[in-house]
Amino acid sequence: MQVKVGDEIPQWEMKSVSAQRMATMAAILRDPNPLHWDRDVVNNTLGIGRRTINQGPLGLSYMINMLHCWSGENSIRRIKMGFPMPLVLDGDYVVAKGVVTAVSQEEQGQLVECDIWLDKEGLKLLDGTATVLLPA
Amino acid sequence: MVSEETIKKLVGHEFPGGEYTIEHWENFLLTECTGADLMQDNVVHPVALFHVPILGCNTTISELFELGHAESEASIMIESYEWDMFQPLKEDTPYKATGKITEADRRRGEAGNSYDRIQCCF
Repeated sequence: MQVKVGDEIPQWEMKSVSAQRMATMAAILRDPNPLHWDRDVVNNTLGIGRRTINQGPLGLSYMINMLHCWSGENSIRRIKMGFPMPLVLDGDYVVAKGVVTAVSQEEQGQLVECDIWLDKEGLKLLDGTATVLLPA
Repeated sequence: MVSEETIKKLVGHEFPGGEYTIEHWENFLLTECTGADLMQDNVVHPVALFHVPILGCNTTISELFELGHAESEASIMIESYEWDMFQPLKEDTPYKATGKITEADRRRGEAGNSYDRIQCCF
């Protein structure tokens, strides 16, 4: 695969963010934050209704999945990710998106810089960059 | 809220360090949470780079909250990550981990609120 600056990465959809997956993730991470698994705490603390808040790493994982589908497993070399508006709630439909911003030719293949983000109804909830290696 | 000096003194704090092995069951559940299929050749989903260094350093997210004198678990937010990936993580492979706090200071948000920002490097 040869890519060029401006190419859009095929998007990856999470059709419905799952509260059950958040609970499992909290156990794996040993993350005691109840905002990820207790709907009443979310509602009482933030007043946004009884919907749990997705962990930041799970939002990032959707973008990793997008990159894997596009450039192959084990292709990612670097990720920088910011969390400007990390309010992904259970039941949300979110889409991982990306665009190529730079390409350089290396011995092992093309080193590709990308802007990547997680979109919810046009808002960038998570926003960062990735470097992937496309083998020659 | 603790003093700004208390927060600044966190810089240089080293975590105990140690080792962590990602077993198949953990990678299976972790990968399922992401909505992806398991990767080939027992490779672990890269999102494990969030928790494996923390747990491998013999600390926990709870202890990080305590170190930062968080007023509540609901008061914590992630600002950013930077991950460099040199090799894929594999199941059933012991990984050594070290880590320390590299930056700690008090900042003012756009809404005028104060918050403490703590940066760790694992």
